[in-house]
Amino acid sequence: MTKETEKFEPRIVGFLCNWCSYAGADLAGTSKLKIPSSLTPIRVMCSSRIDPVLVTTAFLHGADGVLIAGCHPGDCHYDKGNYYARRRFAVLKKVIEGLGLESDRLRLSWVSASEGQRFAEVINEFNEKIKKMGPNPIKVKTSL
Amino acid sequence: MERKIGVYVCECGPNIAEKVDIDKVVGAVSSLDGVVVVEKYKLLCSADGKKFLEEEIKKHGITHLVIAACSPKQHEKTFMEVCENAGINPYLYQLANIREQCAWITEDKDEATKKAIRLIKAAIGRVKYHSSLEKKEIECNPAVLIIGGGVAGINASLELASPDRKIYLVEKTSSLGGMITNFEKTYPSMQPSSHILKQKILDMDKNENIQVFIDSNVEEIIGFFGNFEIKVKKKEVDEPAEFEVGAVMLATGSNFFDLKKTPQYGYEKFDNIFTALEFEKMNLSGEISLKNGKTPRSVAIIHCVGRDEKGYCSEICCMYSLKFIRYLKDKIPDAQVSNFYSDLCIPGKSYQKFYEQTKGKNVDFIRSTNVEVTKKENKLSIKYIDENGNKNSLLVDMVILAPAIEPTSDVSELAEIAGISQGDGGFFAEEHEKLNPVSTSTDGVYIVGCAQGPKNISDTIVQSGAAAGKILASLIPGKKMEIEVKTSHISESFCIGCKVCISVCSYGAITFDEAKKISVVNEVICRGCGNCVAACPSGAATSKHFTFKQIHQELLEAVK
Ligand SMILES: Cc1cc2nc3c(=O)[nH]c(=O)nc-3n(C[C@H](O)[C@H](O)[C@H](O)COP(=O)(O)OP(=O)(O)OC[C@H]3O[C@@H](n4cnc5c(N)ncnc54)[C@H](O)[C@@H]3O)c2cc1C
Ligand code: SF4
Ligand code: SF4
Ligand code: SF4
Ligand code: FES
Repeated sequence: MTKETEKFEPRIVGFLCNWCSYAGADLAGTSKLKIPSSLTPIRVMCSSRIDPVLVTTAFLHGADGVLIAGCHPGDCHYDKGNYYARRRFAVLKKVIEGLGLESDRLRLSWVSASEGQRFAEVINEFNEKIKKMGPNPIKVKTSL
Repeated sequence: MERKIGVYVCECGPNIAEKVDIDKVVGAVSSLDGVVVVEKYKLLCSADGKKFLEEEIKKHGITHLVIAACSPKQHEKTFMEVCENAGINPYLYQLANIREQCAWITEDKDEATKKAIRLIKAAIGRVKYHSSLEKKEIECNPAVLIIGGGVAGINASLELASPDRKIYLVEKTSSLGGMITNFEKTYPSMQPSSHILKQKILDMDKNENIQVFIDSNVEEIIGFFGNFEIKVKKKEVDEPAEFEVGAVMLATGSNFFDLKKTPQYGYEKFDNIFTALEFEKMNLSGEISLKNGKTPRSVAIIHCVGRDEKGYCSEICCMYSLKFIRYLKDKIPDAQVSNFYSDLCIPGKSYQKFYEQTKGKNVDFIRSTNVEVTKKENKLSIKYIDENGNKNSLLVDMVILAPAIEPTSDVSELAEIAGISQGDGGFFAEEHEKLNPVSTSTDGVYIVGCAQGPKNISDTIVQSGAAAGKILASLIPGKKMEIEVKTSHISESFCIGCKVCISVCSYGAITFDEAKKISVVNEVICRGCGNCVAACPSGAATSKHFTFKQIHQELLEAVK
């Protein structure tokens, strides 16, 4: 490992839906699980609120990873919001590639209010993956 | 107006302070633009803490408040109340969750401190873009429309009716009572079913707060929770009756699986094969007999008819089949009764006992597959494959089929009229199978009894009571109803009239203004999910309290 990657502290934006994933993240907290501090949670009412502009903006500002987390299919508090989120996610992956980023920097996960453990696993796994990928190349370019 | 932001960092006793260097946090955000005061406090949600906050807000003339403490799930509302008491709009405040999602999950104190600073900066950035939102209340009509006059509808009517709450019960047949009027007795008590119904129907007649429409169908339900307009059409009457209610309950019961789809059971081909309902009726008439008037000496009850085709277990068939054994033994004590089943469904605290008491002499339970009914001389022959995989057969005088329970034939039409969806098996879909099993995706529309899925009488009563309770708690006579404030809004000048938003909204909250050629949000119906905002291609739709700018500010800090 080079010195560069050793120092690399990813910045991960986590859009969490209020009813399931945010509550799941809280449960990870009450269960005192360990989650890398690279994650900054942003609460939204539903995963369907996340529009492509927000996600691309996050990457253009230098986010190394973006997570969209919502209720499991069928469990969205607003009926079908997460299905829309999933559809937009599929399109977004292409958009991000167009920006010259690895599409794996965007992740969609379903985490319920009772899945604190799963939330911790998702974040730890995603964090490791991003660490391996290294910094967002757009950020590197613009900071040059 | 000059913005004066006050930031208060909670230590939560040792809960936050142990993992986050509070003084460092206070220092790091003190000099940010717009921030006039930053203080730490031991326990902000305590009575003293709330008083302290209220005084601080007044003392410093704080216009925008940031609290760094626990999850909004814990105390968002607590501090909104503090804002109201201190005279600032409760939406000009933001809570940074530095406990559950920072102090408690971060290994290293230094890291936790840095993250807390990031979260608080994000909240400060966000709160600058907050706008005051006014509490919204609407007048509501406490009356309730109940569709279906079975035990579910009757029970709910009686629970809900009062001098200030009128109940309209619409039944499509000419009498009340539903399915159970066909039964002599009900399991597991084996008390006459009239015990359950008779008194209730008398009470309905006497109750002047209940108006019953028989031979009628609901034609139209328009509006929203608190204010629905209803049209009911009675057979052979031209003009529909019109009235207003605040809530709607669907208690339309269920139907039976169509036996034409399973010709192997010989129904309608051979004599002396009866459906469960036909058998209930025959038993109620007082005599169980064959077509030729003779008494059957041997009877087969075939469970799970249509179960494979439907793909679910109908819950009640095993139990009423056991009840049929009791009927038979009461009237023909020496009859041989053979049950052909795939799985016995006898759950709960009293059914096992019922089963044990029903088993006994001349009663067989045969676990079988590939059951087929044919005629052999003047008897019926049951061919089947037994548990060991061997072919077998049995001759009987009479066959009773227990067909699967399925939704009523007009379920889709009714779902459309009520603006709700159908879920598993085609039954009306609940809002959430576990968390909200009697509510639906449309606020103020409830589903109870067999209309929601197959179930016994006790569960039916429990559900109709639960839905009645929900209505009693939310539609209070003389009281206005508080509605969601964080709705979406469409800008007239940006909207291009593409209707994409209308297509994604699950609640029908957006309508199209034909004159102006733009979409308009009905903020009484909107639940504030933000789906339309993400879908709108022109940036015309915004989510109040979750605007692009507000989220963008959080983003900026998240990536720093
Ligand atoms: C053969 C059999 C035996 C059973 N035995 C027992 C037993 O012994 N013990 C027990 O606990 N449970 C038993 N059950 C279950 C029991 O029947 C149900 O739990 C109960 O009837 C459910 O009540 P409900 O009001 O939901 O539906 P229902 O009783 O079916 O009533 C629905 C009512 O709605 C009306 N309706 C339907 N569509 C419309 C419409 N579009 N507009 C207006 N009105 C409409 C119908 O005409 C009917 O009056 C048995 C079920 C069957 C099939
Ligand atoms: S407000 Fe929250 S963080 Fe502060 S003391 Fe109360 S529970 Fe703890
Ligand atoms: S915010 Fe959700 S509920 Fe409200 S109008 Fe938009 S899509 Fe419909
Ligand atoms: S999606 Fe946007 S532009 Fe299209 S009709 Fe709706 S608000 Fe107007
Ligand atoms: S509310 Fe969780 S995804 Fe819609």
